[in-house]
Order: sequence, then structure tokens, then C-alpha cells
Amino acid sequence: MASHGLTYEGCNFLRQRLVLSTLSGKRVKIKNIRSKDDEPGLRDFEASFIRLLDKVTNGSTIEINQTGTVLVYQPGLLYGGTVEHDCNPQRSVGYYLEALLMLGPFMKSPLKATLRGVTNDLTDPTVDLLKSTALPVMKKFGIDGEGFDIKVRTSWYSRGMAPGGGGEVVFTCPVRKTVRPVQLTDPGKIKRIRGVAYSVRVSPQMGNRIVESARGILNQFLPDIYIYTDHMKGANSGKSPGFGLTLVAETLNGCFLSAEMSSTPQGQGDPILPEDLGRNCAKLLLEEIYRGGCVDSSNQSLALLLMTLGQQDVSKVLLGPLSPYTIEFLRHIRDFFQIMFKIEVQKPLEDERKGGDKVLMTCVGVGYSNISKTLK
Amino acid sequence: MDGKVKKQKPHQQKHSGPKAEKKKLKKQNGSTEEDERKRNPKAFAVQSAVRMAKTFHRAQDIKTKKHHVPVVDRTPLEPPPIVIVVVGPPKVGKSTLIRCLIKNFTRQKLTDICGPVTIVSGKKRRLTFMECNNDINSMIDLAKVADLVLMLIDASFGFEMETFEFLNICQVHGFPRIMGVLTHLDAFKNNKTLRKTKKNLKHRFWTEVYQGAKLFYLSGMVYGEYQNQEVKNLGRFISVMKFRPLVWQTSHPYVLADRIEDLTDPERLRTDPKCDRTVSLYGYLRGTHLKNKGQVHIPGVGDFQMSDVNFLPDPCPLPGTQKKRALNEKERLLYAPMAGVGGVVYDKDAVYIDLPANHVKQLQEEVRPTTELVQSLIETHVTLDAKMAASKVSLFSGSAGLDPTDISEQSGVQEGLREIHVWDPHTQTQRRKVVFTGDEEEENDVSGSSSDEDDDGSDSDQENQEEDDDLSTFLKEARAKSEKATRGSTPPVKKPKLEEMKGEKEVVTEAPAFADSEDELEKSEADSEGEGEAERAGDSGHCSKESEEDSEEEEEDGDDESMEEEIGADDSDEEEEQGTLKWKEGLQQKASAAFLRHQEAAPNLRKLVYGSVVEAEDSEEEEEEELGGLFRVNRPQKSKRVQANALDCSHFNPDISHNWDLEEMLNSIRDCFVTGQWEEGQDAATLLKEDEELYGDFEDLETGKVHKGVTGEQDQAEKSESDEADDEDQQVKMDDEEVQKNKRLEKKRRLKERFDTEYDDGDATYFDDLKEEMQKQAELNRAEFEDMDDESRVQYEGFRPGMYVRLEISSLPCEFVTNFDPHYPIIIGGLGTSEGNVGYLQMRLKKHRWYERILKTRDPLILSLGWRRFQTIPLYHIEDHNGRHRLLKYTPQHMHCGASIWGPITPQGTGFLAVQSVSGVKANFRIAATGVVLDLDKSVTIVKKLKLIGYPYKIFQNTCFIKGMFNTVLEVAKFEGASIRTVSGIRGQIKKALSTPPGAFRATFEDRLLMSDIVFLRSWYPVSIPQLYNPITSLLLPVGQKDMWSGMRTVGQLKHDLGVRNKPSIDSLYKPITRAPRHFNPLHIPKELQKALPFKSKPKLLQPKGKVPRDLKRASVIREPHERKVAELLRALSTVHHHKKKVAQRAHHAKHKEFLQQKEKDEEAKMKRMKDARKKLYRIMGQKDQKKQRSSLKGTPQDD
Repeated sequence: MASHGLTYEGCNFLRQRLVLSTLSGKRVKIKNIRSKDDEPGLRDFEASFIRLLDKVTNGSTIEINQTGTVLVYQPGLLYGGTVEHDCNPQRSVGYYLEALLMLGPFMKSPLKATLRGVTNDLTDPTVDLLKSTALPVMKKFGIDGEGFDIKVRTSWYSRGMAPGGGGEVVFTCPVRKTVRPVQLTDPGKIKRIRGVAYSVRVSPQMGNRIVESARGILNQFLPDIYIYTDHMKGANSGKSPGFGLTLVAETLNGCFLSAEMSSTPQGQGDPILPEDLGRNCAKLLLEEIYRGGCVDSSNQSLALLLMTLGQQDVSKVLLGPLSPYTIEFLRHIRDFFQIMFKIEVQKPLEDERKGGDKVLMTCVGVGYSNISKTLK
Repeated sequence: MDGKVKKQKPHQQKHSGPKAEKKKLKKQNGSTEEDERKRNPKAFAVQSAVRMAKTFHRAQDIKTKKHHVPVVDRTPLEPPPIVIVVVGPPKVGKSTLIRCLIKNFTRQKLTDICGPVTIVSGKKRRLTFMECNNDINSMIDLAKVADLVLMLIDASFGFEMETFEFLNICQVHGFPRIMGVLTHLDAFKNNKTLRKTKKNLKHRFWTEVYQGAKLFYLSGMVYGEYQNQEVKNLGRFISVMKFRPLVWQTSHPYVLADRIEDLTDPERLRTDPKCDRTVSLYGYLRGTHLKNKGQVHIPGVGDFQMSDVNFLPDPCPLPGTQKKRALNEKERLLYAPMAGVGGVVYDKDAVYIDLPANHVKQLQEEVRPTTELVQSLIETHVTLDAKMAASKVSLFSGSAGLDPTDISEQSGVQEGLREIHVWDPHTQTQRRKVVFTGDEEEENDVSGSSSDEDDDGSDSDQENQEEDDDLSTFLKEARAKSEKATRGSTPPVKKPKLEEMKGEKEVVTEAPAFADSEDELEKSEADSEGEGEAERAGDSGHCSKESEEDSEEEEEDGDDESMEEEIGADDSDEEEEQGTLKWKEGLQQKASAAFLRHQEAAPNLRKLVYGSVVEAEDSEEEEEEELGGLFRVNRPQKSKRVQANALDCSHFNPDISHNWDLEEMLNSIRDCFVTGQWEEGQDAATLLKEDEELYGDFEDLETGKVHKGVTGEQDQAEKSESDEADDEDQQVKMDDEEVQKNKRLEKKRRLKERFDTEYDDGDATYFDDLKEEMQKQAELNRAEFEDMDDESRVQYEGFRPGMYVRLEISSLPCEFVTNFDPHYPIIIGGLGTSEGNVGYLQMRLKKHRWYERILKTRDPLILSLGWRRFQTIPLYHIEDHNGRHRLLKYTPQHMHCGASIWGPITPQGTGFLAVQSVSGVKANFRIAATGVVLDLDKSVTIVKKLKLIGYPYKIFQNTCFIKGMFNTVLEVAKFEGASIRTVSGIRGQIKKALSTPPGAFRATFEDRLLMSDIVFLRSWYPVSIPQLYNPITSLLLPVGQKDMWSGMRTVGQLKHDLGVRNKPSIDSLYKPITRAPRHFNPLHIPKELQKALPFKSKPKLLQPKGKVPRDLKRASVIREPHERKVAELLRALSTVHHHKKKVAQRAHHAKHKEFLQQKEKDEEAKMKRMKDARKKLYRIMGQKDQKKQRSSLKGTPQDD
């Protein structure tokens, strides 16, 4: 067997590389991970991610050198099943969940992952956001059925803000053999906006203040806005105080665009007023709507991955401007699957008031089939 | 005689009379069925509802059975040639059949069939014939790529084992179309036996394939060929045949190579003849899209990474779409490079021209390697000059300054032409291919271009470096030239273009084509006046597409202008390939214009995404293809360094975000909401209006108000489009007729659509919906990339099936080239994602019912799975009721069992077959087992039973100390709580380890043990699968021994070969049985018991009789003679007396018997009498009673 590994440098886009490596079965070697840094090598959260990957796969080998600057990953088969993982609180659960969303449908047995740690923070997409946007995207690709859910609220505690964490999320995902090609070229018009304003270990009034200010901006466009306030106390509230807002706009064709914002973690940076947060988050949503597309910016890579892994048919998705993360993801897809996307820019018409340029991504799937699934 | 044959009276049609009338009536009425029904309704009435329901169900069942799961139709517009594999045992007439079919389709004779032969058989169909030799390796490989199998059967002999083997191979690897062909039918002299044989063979064939499978009969030979009419019929059958896509074939790209070239550096070959070869393989791409740089498997060789793929002009194109029925002579193309028939053969950097066969006499007797490849290999290191030239070029790629060509050019010593000896197997002659050494200069002189192309030194040098084949520098010029010439007319039929350079006297067949290109050449000459860039672009046309891409990207980063031209050249690649430098210029401008248009539509986003990636790859591949330092761009690399360790986050927070406080910003997204303005077609108001128009007036039932349609006569207008005036009135604002008409048409269309959906919905089943969905997807697939040029299309969807591709593989073992035999198929099978990995596979396996022996666990077995053939060590197992996989020593006779192997990862559901050896020919059926892959896993769960045995050494009541089962305390500790059992079935449990002796433990049982009991612990021990994966490298074996591959031997074979006898264990040997005589002790009964016993049961303790005392003994009497006489007489008398007595007794007995009978008779008579008397008496009594009763009923008698 000819070795067909891929080599990368730096810890950037580590998740993409490992996830794509697992899906394509190609060995990947990552060199020079923070080699020039004061603290060289992998960070704790990356190690935690690798450990999670090890839990959901079977037979994968991971070699890390002494300093942690070189990582060699030989993927095994995706196994799934019931997995429990304590995520490192340096990054939120969303960091881990994004990868699991990509891997989940291609496991041997349905995945039931319980992730503990920080559920909401500033850097990563929060669990609420993924629940309301990533799942509908996957449903469009035929990954659906009972037990396809992200649950934030479990028996004893749920939300955990940065830096303390202490939240718990359960992600369950059914197994699919193949993924359906999609044609998402028309996002449709936004019919409603929903949202969750959450607050833990702070005054319950915070939520209402956020909602008020966010509505103030969004009401100019649409009357159908409903923002839930979700206040947690006691055991349910995790270890750190904080608050935040997640907004989701749903279109007539079932596309979801979202924006979110959370308060700065306790003891880090300037504190933010809930009114400002609400207003800024609403503006972020407007920005997202301006970008447009059938898939919002944080799930672009997920949609593109599922297109790539589809049948050998043409899939099309209309996206907003590609984020740098997505651009890198496209390159990685090319490396791992030899798939190139046809990228067409759709400029808005003169008299149209539908935001900025859109990008129509077209590709032919690789004809991926879930080789982990057992045939009975 | 034949002239006098009496002609039969023709049938006379009646034109009048009752019969004619009847017929006429019948014709007029058409079907009488209706009439019948009307006339005799009872006959058509429902007789039985149950029966009707049954028939209906049956009809529905049959209907549903016909359904297949619909699949998306992914067949390309121009499909690849259909692979027809001709199979059969040796001497059955395979080559003859192929020859006849080729002659039938192309009117050409092909004497030697080696390798695939591609022909154009019709306007829309091409065929590739491949002969399958009698080797199980070839049979397996070809069954995987065949679209149609012509299965030749020698009818005079009957079926042979190969036929059945091949059928079974086909069944496992998806069932291609199979058509049987019976040959040697002329061997039957008797017509009846012929018919009988045909029938028998046909029915056996049907049971194997399917009922009604087509079986062809080729009756006899005429001059060594089959009869024309029969071949023609067969050909017709082939050309109209339809195929159902097979799963494996449609999900994997594959190429049946019809031509191979060795591209290895001759200098390397000289220094190290065993070095890995760089080989380019050519063939039609089949199956599905092929991605560049993907992994492939070549059955019989191994797994390889393709270093480069590009597509070439079709050597055997379909005729154009003219409206005529038959093909003309020129369009009946034949392409078989391995057989030496190729016409003009294109390479990326050379052109090979073949001469028609009739030019040279054939010398078949001479035994030479039959392929140009092998011959060229032999010939590569003939002359020192050639070697020198070769070394020169390799130097050239190293550094331009040391270029000896330049030196020789300067000195002017070098002659104009050089030659490469090429063996042309078709003509069986040594042919010299022309090679231009003074290329650039000469070429420039000829084409009239100024010599500044060469002056643009760095550019052209770079290009030269890109060529990995050192000869290419020379060849490409020749190629360019000849291509230009041949391009005029598409079919690359033999066109000797280089004849003047070759110096051979060859006939020019195609003058007009040349003239055409001359025109173009002149035209383009005018355009190009010394554009150095053009030459560069022209050259890069020959280099691999990938490197072309790379250089393109580089240039773009450098300067825009050149980039555009470059890509323009790239886009118009096909044209480029033909052309000279001059000629290209015009095209280039056109293409660049086209490209600009293209660019405008898609600005640099593609570059942004994929551009820098190409750069990154470049740096990786620097060692291989040195592109020259000029165009390397460092910027992306630098920026990469910076962000190499950046935060890994999917959030997209742009630096410049819009100011959402401004009203204009807010306005810019107004239409994204339902509250915003809608499109023309979707606006609520317009939709409502249209709805009204559609349905006209309606009545609101709640209010009882009647709404009149806006246009009352609209419906009418729909029916008759001529109602212009009415419409005019209704349409208030629009007076334009055109607009109205369009609107009306639109409305009509929508009405029809709505009606269709409503109407069809009733019938539309799930199946129909699914089919429609697939149809839509197929259309989309077709349409999406249709208007794109192939070059960019290939990047998006990969190389599509039907293309003629050239695959370059850089590290093939040298035996592949040196031992090349065109009779063996070379298949390049593409591998899907992660199919290149090795892992554990769980499969369901069944021993083939025709295979005579059962298979043993851990015996090496050869599997054919996916593209691969490999040897591996399977472990057989069976699933217990609790889901445990228990190891089996042997496969069951007639049952499925599980098998686990270490092998290549292959998708579940793929079938496989197993053989024990692929070498030699055996009389028996060779396919040992078949099965299917169930599961892929990285861990194995097979267990085998392990019994640990111990002995009790101390027994308390139910507790027992047991030793000998374990060796240490730790081992016992591991098994604490485990259940154990004795042989006699007493169950127990391990409790705790004892300190001494080590390994002993305390256990409790449900009953008391004996010291003689044996205790055992039943456990399951996981078995590891041996990691043997040994691909069969049959193609690397020397010519003539390709079917002799042998891998790992089984233990049995090894012992047999080495003469090792198994030493049996002493215990299992048979020994004479010696039994000690059994001794039983006497039964002892206590005295007390004896006393209590009844006499019957009391032991009879009699003293043995002692000796009789003398006084008790009787003396014997010795008689006197007289006494003796007396005694004698007395004995005689008594005997007589006895006899008399006996006789008398007998007589008495008889008499008594008689008497008894008589007595019985009398008794009977007496009884009868008495009975009668009694009867009489009773009757009288009865009568009396009756009388009495009657009288009592009457009343008291008077007389009382």
C-alpha cells in the first residue's frame, strides 16, 4: 500500500484536518505546532479534542512528539455509540460539537455524545446557535429522524459560561449510509426571528433588558419576533456568571441565519451592558442577513462538507461571502477528496435590496458511502 | 430439376361474396371485443369475487416485481466503448470470433488479436473487444470490467469447467450481460443429435444465467471463418443490446488500458535496469468520474498513486451527427495499439503514426516481441548516440547552461534529424521514428516564425524542464507538426505525415487535411509576429495539465496580462495541442477573449480559494517538477506562516462591518424579509390577481356573495385564442398584443401544470415520485457543466467517463514493463475514499457447493474483492445465539459462516470469491467460496473456547480446594467469581485464592465433590487475525508463466512438498487392548440379617458333600450269561407291551373324542329343543299377559 499522507504546518484549522482525515481515511501529519511559541505544542483544548476523536473512532492511532509540536494521525473507523467527554473549558462545547456534527452521520452506531464544559462563550458558536442552525442544514441533506437533536438541558445542570463551564450538552445523531444531494439556491424571505436571551448567575432582569434592545432594532423589519428569556439559577447555572443572546432568522424556504453574542467572561476584558449586547447582536444578525445565503456563515463548512460527501450528483448551495475558515476548508476538501467547487458570484440586481454579493457553490459529490455502518 | 419445380398455386383473395363481406365488416368494426361484450354480457361478468381479487393481486405482484430501485442516470452523453469480453476454454474459437466481428463491423482484417480492440460499430456505439485467455486471473479481472460477455462453448464437447467458473465469477462481481455462443456445431453429422445437444446446452445455460438467456449458434466455418450471415446477426444483437448499470462499475472509475508507454529516463535505465518505471497507460475511462492524483489499483500489480492524468483526443471517435443511416468507410474506425493498429496515436508529447497494413508485407514467421513497447525497450539502448542524446536532455533539465544541444547548435555539428527505432508489430518491421534534434531552429525556419522564440530563453527552458520525458523536447515538435496536419479531419486514420522526414517511401493518403491546416498556418502566421509568450504557451500545451495549472497560477500572481493569455491558451487546449506556434496565436486571442468574458463572470474568488493551494502544492512537489525560480511567489507562504498557529474558529467576524445605524444600510436588506418587496412573479397582489383570473368567479358560501371574475370571458379566451377583442377590453393597461399573448400562454401553462399535479397526484406512487426526482437530478447533472470547456470541467467533476485518458504512474515495478504481455488485461481501477487502507473485514462466506473440500481456518486463501486479488488468512466463525462469534475450525458444509480477514477496506455489500490457488489448471471446480462483505472494523471479536482444568486436593462438605488450574495468585484473582463445573456436572464458583500451593483456590459447589472429579473453567479466548495481505502480482511474472503465481502455501501443502510426516501424539496412537481379568469378592451377609431373611432369600449355606463312605457305596452287579439273556428277553417283552399299550391308548383317545363330539351334538340338540319349548312357553305367557291387560283396560270383567 502506498502511503498517501498529507502534511500540514501549524495548529491552525486542526479540527478541519483531523475531521477530513477521519472521513477520507488519509493519514495526516501536522508539523510545527506553535514551534516558535513560548509554550510550544498542543494546547489542552486541542488535546481534549483529539481525545474526543479517539473516543468516537476505533483503531485510530495518534502520535504526538515530546514537545507536542508534531502530530501524526492515522484515522480509524468511526464507531459512535455512547460517548461522554469532559471538554476543556478553554474552548466551549461548540468547538467540539462542530466536529461531531460533521462526523456524526457517518458512524457505525448512532452517536450519543454527552459533552460537559463551557456551553456559551465568545469565540465559538454556542450550543444554542448550532442547535437552531446546524441541525436544519443537516436535515436538508437527509440526515434526519428521531433522535437527531442537541439537548442543552439535562437532568441536573445545563448552561455553563466561560471561564468556569459546568454545562452539559447531549448530542444525538442517527447514522446514514449516504447523503442526499441538495439544491439550495433560493433562501426565500425571512418570515420570523426567534431568539434566546440567557442569563446565569446574574439578575434575571438582564434577559429582559437584552430582549428589549434587540427588538428595538429588529422591529423595523418584521413584526414576528419572539425572543425567549432563559434564566437559570442554582445547580443549573454552571460555575460562572454571564449572559448572552442568540438570534435566528427563519426564511420561508426553511433556511436559518443566525447571530449571537455573549458577555465577556468574568474577570477578562471590559464588562458589557446588556442593552449594548442586545443591540450589537441584532446588528450582527442584520449583517448576517446582509451576507445572506441559504446557510449562515458559521455553518458554511458543514454544508460544503455534506455536499462533498454526497452522491455523484450535482449539489448547489447559495452562500454569503465565504469566511476565511470556509476558504481554508475548501482547500482542505481539495486536498483530501480532490473535489473542487465551482464558485460563481451572484451580484445583486440594481433595484434589489437583498444585501451583498452571494456565492453559488456547485460541486459533484464524491459518492461517499458510510463504510462503518454494519450490513445485516 | 430445380427449374422444373412445380410452382404452387397462389392464394386467391376473395373480392366478393359472403366471405369478403364478412372480412370487410370485420375490418371496419376494428375490434370485435366491444361487440362481444355487448352481445354476451354474462360471459364477461364477474364469476367470483375471490378469484377476481386473487388475479388482481397477482397482477399487482408481478407489476411490482418488475420495479427496480431507481438510480440516477449518470451515463455520459458520449459513453465509452462497450467492453465485450470473449470467454471460453482454449481452442473454442475466441480469436476467430473476434476477427469475424471486427471484419463484420470495420471491413478490416486483424490477424493477431492482442489487447483490447476498439471499433466503431454504429452511429452511437463503440465496442471494445477483449479476449480472455484461459487463466483464472484474467477471468476474474475481466469479469469486473465486462459490459457484455460472449461465452463461447464448444458444442461438440459440451460445457467445460471454465464456463461455469466464469459464470460464477460474474455472479459475484455483478452480473454483466451474458450471451452464449455455441461453436463447432459442424462436428455433428446427425441432425437429431445436433438438435438434442443444442436443446440440452440451452437449458443448462438458462439455469445458470436466466430463463431465456440468448444463446447463439455458429454453425460452421467457411475458409477458417464463421458464416457471414451468422456473424452479422450476432453483430446486430450486440449493437442493439441494452445494459443495466452494475453497482461496482458505476461507483468506481476504471480504465482498460489499451496502450502503455514506458517513460523512464533511459539513463536511469542504463545505470539501474531494475529501477522503478514511470509508465503512462492509455485507455477509455469508464464507470464514473476519475479524480486526478487519486489512488488506483492495477489488478495483478498493486496499488499506486497516479502522478498525473490528462485526457487526449479520442482515437476512435464516434461519427458526427449527420442524418444518414449507415457509417461510411472512413468512420468505421479500428483502434488496437497493442495489436499494432492505432492510426495516429497521440501522446502528450509525441505522435505515433501507423501505416496501413497493406503497405508492408507481413512476416509472421519471425518470432519477435509483438508489442512496440517491448521492442522499443529493447531498442532504447542501442546506439551510443541515443544514449548521449538522452543524457544530454537530462542534463538540460538540471541546468540550462550545460545544455549540449545548445553547444551542438552553436557548433552546427548536429544533423537535422535523429531517429528512434520502433518496432512496429503490425507490419513486423523495424521502423524509425523521426526525431528532431535541431528542433527549435528548424521548426522556426519552417514555420516562418522569427527565432526570437528561442531567444526567450528562460521561458522555453522552463518548459523543457517541465517535461519529465527527456525525449519529449524533440518529440513534441514532431507531434505539434503532425497534429496540426491531422487535425483538419477528426478521425485519425492513418495519415503518414512525416514521410519526407523519415525518408521512407510512403504514400500520402490525405492531402486535403494538410492543405487545410496549411491555410490556418498561413493565417496565423500573419497574426503572430514574434510573440515570445505565445511560444511558451504553445509548449505548455504539451505539458501535463497540472503543471500547466501551476504555472498559470504563478503567472497570475506575477502579471495580469500574461496570466490571461496563459489561461486562454489553457482553455483552448485542444486547439493548442494541434498547432504550431504561429497558428496558435489567433486562437489564443480568441480564447483569451473568451476567458476574459469568463473571468468577468467569476472574479478572483476561485483564485482566492484555490490559487494559493496550488502554490502550496508546488512547494511540496518541488523536487519532482522544478518549475524554475522565476515565478515562485513567496507571499502566500509567508502569510501562511503567520497564521499557521492562529485561532481555529468558524465564526466569521469581518473586520469592516457595516454601520447598521444608517438608514441606507437598513434599506439595503429590506427585501430579505417577507415585509419587503416581492419579485414580479411572487408578489402577493399579482398572484392573487392571477388566481382570480384562473378560477374566475366563485361564490363565498358564508356570506353568499358571488364574486365575479375580473375577466368574465377569460376562460373562453383560453379556449379560443382568437378572442382578441374581448381581451383587449379586459386588459386595461396593456395594449401590447405580444405581452398579452405571452401572459395568456403563461397562464395556460400554469393552469395545465396545476391540472397535471392535481390529476397525477391521484395515481402518483412513491415509486413514480422517486423516479421523477432521479430524472431531475440526472438532468441537472447533465446541464450543470455542459457549456464548459473540458479543461475546466475536468477540474470540477474530474475526468468523466468516455474520455480517452492517459494515466501516468511513476513507480511501477520494472517487471511490469519487462514482462509485459498484451494478452493479459491491464485494468486500472480507481479506489474510493479510504479504499486504499487496510483493515479487518468481516464477511459472510459460503463454501461453493461444487467445491469438493471444506476450507480450514488459517489456511491461506486467495480472494477477489473489489478490484483486488490477494492472498489472506481467513478465520471462520459462526455467531452464537448470544451474539458471540465463535471460531470454527472448518467451514460448514452447506451453510453460511462468518469469515474475518485482514485486507483492503471495501464498502459493505461488495461480493467476493475465493480460490485456493490461481496457478495451473485443475480438473476440479476452482472457486472455493463466495460471500459478501458485512462489516469493517478495526477490532476483532472472534473468540475460541478455552477450558482450564484443575483437580481437587481437599474436599470439605461443599467446599473444595482446587489446584492445577492457575499458576499464581494473581491469575486466580482475575477469575474470582467465575463459574466452574465438574465433568459430572456439579456447578460451582471460584471463591478466593490460597497462598499455597501457588495458583490453588477455594471453590464452592452445589454438591460434594469426589477426589476423582475433574474441575474445569470454560472461558472464551479472543483470537487475533493474522495480518497477511498479499496482493497477487501475476502481471509481473515472466511472459508465459503469468498463470503460475503461487503465494503462501497451506500447512498441508508444505508438509506434502517437504515430505514432512506429522508426528502424532503418543496418546492418540492405537495400542493392543489388554484387560485384566475381573475378580469379584463373594457377597457377605451379616449373620443377623441372615437370620431375619425369609428362607427363600437366605443364603443356602450347604456344606459341600464329602466323600461317600465306602459302606454306603453300592456294589456293581455283574450278571451271568443266563441272567443276561433273561434280562434281555424281559426288556424285549416290556417293549412290546409298551407298544401295545400305546396303540391301545391312542385308539381309546380317538374313541373318546368321538364320544365327546357325539355328546356335544346331543347337548346342542337338547338345548335347541329346550329353547324352542321355552320360546313357546314365553309366547303363551305373553299372550296371556296381553289378554289380561286388554281386559283390564276394558274394565272389570263381567265374569269376575
